[in-house]
Amino acid sequence: MSGGSGQWKGRALRPREDERFVTGRGLYLANLNLPRSLHAAILRSVHPHARIISVDASEALKLPGVACVLTGEQAKAISRPLRSLIPLPVEVPHYCLAHDKVRYVGEPVAAVAATSRYIAEDALEKIRVEYEPLPAAVDPEKSMAPGAPILYESLGSNVLWHDCFDYGEVDRVFAQAAHVLTERFFIQRYSSTPLETFGCIANYDDARSYLTLWTNDQRPGQAMPIIAHSLGLSAAQIRFITADIGGGFGNKRKPPYLVLTALLSKLSGRPVQFIEDRRENLMALVHACNGVMDVSVAVAEDGTLVGLKVRDIADEGANLLNPTVHSLLKLGNITNCYGIRAVRFDGYSVVTNKCPSGANRGIGKPFMCFALERMMDSVARRLGRDRIELREKNLLPPESMPYTTPTGALIDSGNFPATLKKLLEIADYRSFKEEQKRARAEGRWLGFGLAIAVEPSTSNQSAYILTTKRRAASGAGEAAMVRVESDGSVQVVLGDVGSGQGHQTAAAQIVADELGVPFDEVQVSPYFDSLVSPWMYTTGNYSNKFAGTDVGAIQGAARKVKEKLLDLGAHLLGVPRETLELADGAVRSRSDPQRRKTLAELAHVAYRDLLALPAAMEPGLEGRYYYRPALADLPDDERRVRNQLFVSNAAHAAIVEVDVETGKVSILKYAIVHDCGTVLNPLIVEGLVHGATAHGIGAALYEEFAYDEQGQLLTTTFVDYLKPSAMEIPDFKNDHLESPSPFTPFGMKGVGEGGAIPAPAAIANAVDDALAPLGVRLTHLPLTPERVWKAIQSAQGKT
Amino acid sequence: MKPAPFRYYRASSVEEALDLLNGPAAGGKLLAGGQSLVPLMNLRLARPEAIVDLNRIAALSYIRPEGGEIAIGALTRHRELEFSPLVRAELPILAEAVPQIGHPAIRNRGTVGGSVAHADPAAELPCVFSALDARIVVAGTGGRRTIAARDFFVGFYETALAEGEIVEEVRVPVRPRPKGWSFLEFARRHGDFALAEASALLYPDDSGARCAAARVVVGGGAVDKPFAPASVENLLQDEFNSNLKMDSIASLLKRAGELAEAEIRARGAAREDGAYLFRLAATLVSRSLGAAIRRWQGS
Amino acid sequence: MNTPELVSVSVEVNGACFDATVEARKTLADFLREDLGFTGVNLGCEHGVCGACSVLLDGAVVRSCIMFAGQADGAKIVTIEGLARGGKLHPVQRAFLDHHALQCGFCTPGMVLAAVDLLRRNANPTAGEIREALAGNLCMCTGYVNIVRAVKAAAQILQAERAG
Repeated sequence: MSGGSGQWKGRALRPREDERFVTGRGLYLANLNLPRSLHAAILRSVHPHARIISVDASEALKLPGVACVLTGEQAKAISRPLRSLIPLPVEVPHYCLAHDKVRYVGEPVAAVAATSRYIAEDALEKIRVEYEPLPAAVDPEKSMAPGAPILYESLGSNVLWHDCFDYGEVDRVFAQAAHVLTERFFIQRYSSTPLETFGCIANYDDARSYLTLWTNDQRPGQAMPIIAHSLGLSAAQIRFITADIGGGFGNKRKPPYLVLTALLSKLSGRPVQFIEDRRENLMALVHACNGVMDVSVAVAEDGTLVGLKVRDIADEGANLLNPTVHSLLKLGNITNCYGIRAVRFDGYSVVTNKCPSGANRGIGKPFMCFALERMMDSVARRLGRDRIELREKNLLPPESMPYTTPTGALIDSGNFPATLKKLLEIADYRSFKEEQKRARAEGRWLGFGLAIAVEPSTSNQSAYILTTKRRAASGAGEAAMVRVESDGSVQVVLGDVGSGQGHQTAAAQIVADELGVPFDEVQVSPYFDSLVSPWMYTTGNYSNKFAGTDVGAIQGAARKVKEKLLDLGAHLLGVPRETLELADGAVRSRSDPQRRKTLAELAHVAYRDLLALPAAMEPGLEGRYYYRPALADLPDDERRVRNQLFVSNAAHAAIVEVDVETGKVSILKYAIVHDCGTVLNPLIVEGLVHGATAHGIGAALYEEFAYDEQGQLLTTTFVDYLKPSAMEIPDFKNDHLESPSPFTPFGMKGVGEGGAIPAPAAIANAVDDALAPLGVRLTHLPLTPERVWKAIQSAQGKT
Repeated sequence: MKPAPFRYYRASSVEEALDLLNGPAAGGKLLAGGQSLVPLMNLRLARPEAIVDLNRIAALSYIRPEGGEIAIGALTRHRELEFSPLVRAELPILAEAVPQIGHPAIRNRGTVGGSVAHADPAAELPCVFSALDARIVVAGTGGRRTIAARDFFVGFYETALAEGEIVEEVRVPVRPRPKGWSFLEFARRHGDFALAEASALLYPDDSGARCAAARVVVGGGAVDKPFAPASVENLLQDEFNSNLKMDSIASLLKRAGELAEAEIRARGAAREDGAYLFRLAATLVSRSLGAAIRRWQGS
Repeated sequence: MNTPELVSVSVEVNGACFDATVEARKTLADFLREDLGFTGVNLGCEHGVCGACSVLLDGAVVRSCIMFAGQADGAKIVTIEGLARGGKLHPVQRAFLDHHALQCGFCTPGMVLAAVDLLRRNANPTAGEIREALAGNLCMCTGYVNIVRAVKAAAQILQAERAG
């Protein structure tokens, strides 16, 4: 595919979405107001694990303003089980509300629709639930052991999935290696917590059996079939609409809430709006898996990493919807930027009495990167080698691209040594060593840490065949529509409207170049509307897939229209089509630009003056394109697969100061070099790099969903769940390289996750470097002051 | 996340507020800045039957010198303290502490009386007022009484206020004037409630060279109320003077921290695993005293 | 409590006067959004931490989710919708556009108003002062870097406007 030259792509155009946001006119879900709309509230479990004996809503129903109450038993009676996205070994029927047991604090037990959210919450207090509390499975390792409390009896165990993947001669490589190092790492539960919470408005038209859903669910293509199945509707009986989404990061998808709200609408005969409050969001929407990872590396005498063994336990919480995602994605970045050829991944997905896990910026990759980049520093220490030189030795060289990793992932492009070199330049690494010495003499503890990362994007659905052994879906894709309207204006409709990534701006840049019209004249709809927008199962805003699939869909749709414009222009101008081009809002002769037909003139014919069309030409000027990247494959016999298709990369460096008396870690400098191939809009790309990095810093130092030993969640507000503010996030020094992908339309690659993947490793490596003279080694995230302080105490033998 | 219903009363004078609180709004809650109360109500962790809104009592918003004291009305917003030239000139430790309360939006609404009555051991004002030997003037139907700050704060969110009483004013002495002073706090993030905080005030004797009295008060997660470790105050009073050399000061600060830790530990009021919080409080005591001593030396 | 407790509220919002009777427990944020239609007041946490619902109340930035509507009786309020004058964006809004100081936009109304509040007190803040003033407003998208740049730029625009 050729990279079309153009005047709009590559420019730092101000994202057009920003204009409505700075004036407070965002089209967020909560701003839509349907007449007669009711407000829903959800009664949630206060127990981590309990049998539901009875639910009595009679008092709640008496409250003025309450329209209806839905209990778990009712939901079971009037809806079908929720279909899991990732099939389980044994199907466990589960519904939008708990009916037999509750399995985590915050699990929905009953729901109320009332004339206001205030009254709905009053009604919740009047619902009586009798529980028989059960012991809870909280720690993932203990939950795997025989005798642990079982969440789902029909599964017989809390181990939802276990598999061991071997690539290369792992045992031989380890047996013959000069050095073998083994370490254990822990990652906490955290989440990106978009500032707008999840929500939906359902209007169930019983007379027509037709459901209209307005929602900020970021993955419509996946949600619709689940809702249809649960409600017993066909896909043609559902209209699904999204508008501006106030941040997603993977978190915003929750089919059970969509079903529940639809049922309330069906019961009440009125539109019903459910919008999570922040406590519900923190307790019950989604957490990234916490986990434990045992990592062993085999190293040759010269410092070459030759083997890698990973035993990974992902704590899924009560996740039946899409387990194993975290595990599977680790297979895609398991060897990072290195040429390791022998790899074992022994993965466990374990259910516990905690909030269901699910997608969150990076999904699994931040932990994998954390573990391996921490190991690189350990290897350097053990071998007495410089940690940068050790990395340089092991980096894949640019001439090896495209490179297939042992697990089958294709690294399509990238210059890893150059990325690292540039990072060291902008991070002032050489001068830091002196600074560190001076500081230590003054009793200040400074450290430098770095981490490098691959950032695979665009999920290939076939990868789930590895964990499910079923082919529920395969490949990757997205759809888009471009239409020249009857007056010649240009309209673009996207399958993936984005959630803050400037997709509407980027789409306009692409279409403006394709059709030769000014950027400002390309309208891009902020809405996804399943009645209008082309879509498929893979449609939605996830997996950093804009570059991998969306661009192809937009370009494909634009080119369909372009072809037709050229055909029509040739007909009307009476010249051969090959002599024509699209420029300045017209089809014109290359040799004589005055011979032209404007888009308005062409549209006039295409929509109104139909008899002026060539006899065989269909009226209208609309192109719909369903795009799938050719790289997607099926797993091979060796269980290798490209589970994500295009690979960006980054290198991060942090200079931190540790206050050894309080344990506080302060970031003094932070440098980023990022490579996502061709840059379509530098403003957007830089913003995403900053934001993702900030999220990685949050995971490194602040954020944690903490459960106590009984399974109670201790962090249910933003007072306890700490998001970094402008005071905690440093200024970033960032730069980029451009290694275009040979496999995407313009060489673009994913960008939204890059910062979130290496940041925790870079910061932890810096803290270890600062505290190296004390022999401190940190293995648990986040690096809270208390945790750092205790590590120092224990290294000094004080505890 | 919406509050439960309540009866709402507006008071335009202290007398009216007292009548309400001791009449139709009995058992209810006073609403001042609402920066702590309303979040709890939204979460339905607080669900008062009645609310008496004090925000109309304009007469309770003032900062003025009275005798040897500065009188601060209960409805004075943190923001007014922050920008008060009088506070800056006469109570520099208060001027240092106030900008550390939350964020601008919180300081624009939060009030002095509200912070005092809420008595969060991790809040800034109770700690500083205790160190300054401030007095809290409270009004009840039976009249007014004045309570020393050190007696006013009783425990976790607990004060000496009787049922039906209202905090009306805080009176802070400005004489004697400390020669060394410091307020320091440590929080996970800027603006959060302190994991540990320490106020330190060093008062000179007539010669100006010796420490006649020291006030050290600790707040945060290690204590249940603003806590003054007497052994630390005594240590400073006994041993600190202008002639101390660097290494003697260092050893003094170290001992101050150790004494503070021992006293706080003995009190045993930490809400969670105490080891870290006790040590942190001690570190803040040492550091705050260190800063106070630097100011003493620089003056 | 069977009959809801009602209070009357008269407020000036963005230059227009409104009289209403609302339930006493209704928050100012919900009143502005639901009763008056100022949906630029976003609800991000409803417990006074995230700052998305910030408005200017009698000239000072406050969180409207932790005030009751009744408490705003007699007040002058400016929401994000009222910041632009005569179709001309406020310099802070312009700077946010120029520096792409937002992504999903949900924090933006509160962030812009917090910045306006800062620049009224401090015409030429340092980066550190900007960060401190905005630390009560959470942004999950930008990492704050462009926000700090935008506020610095807005300060310069405002100073130039004053000088000119």
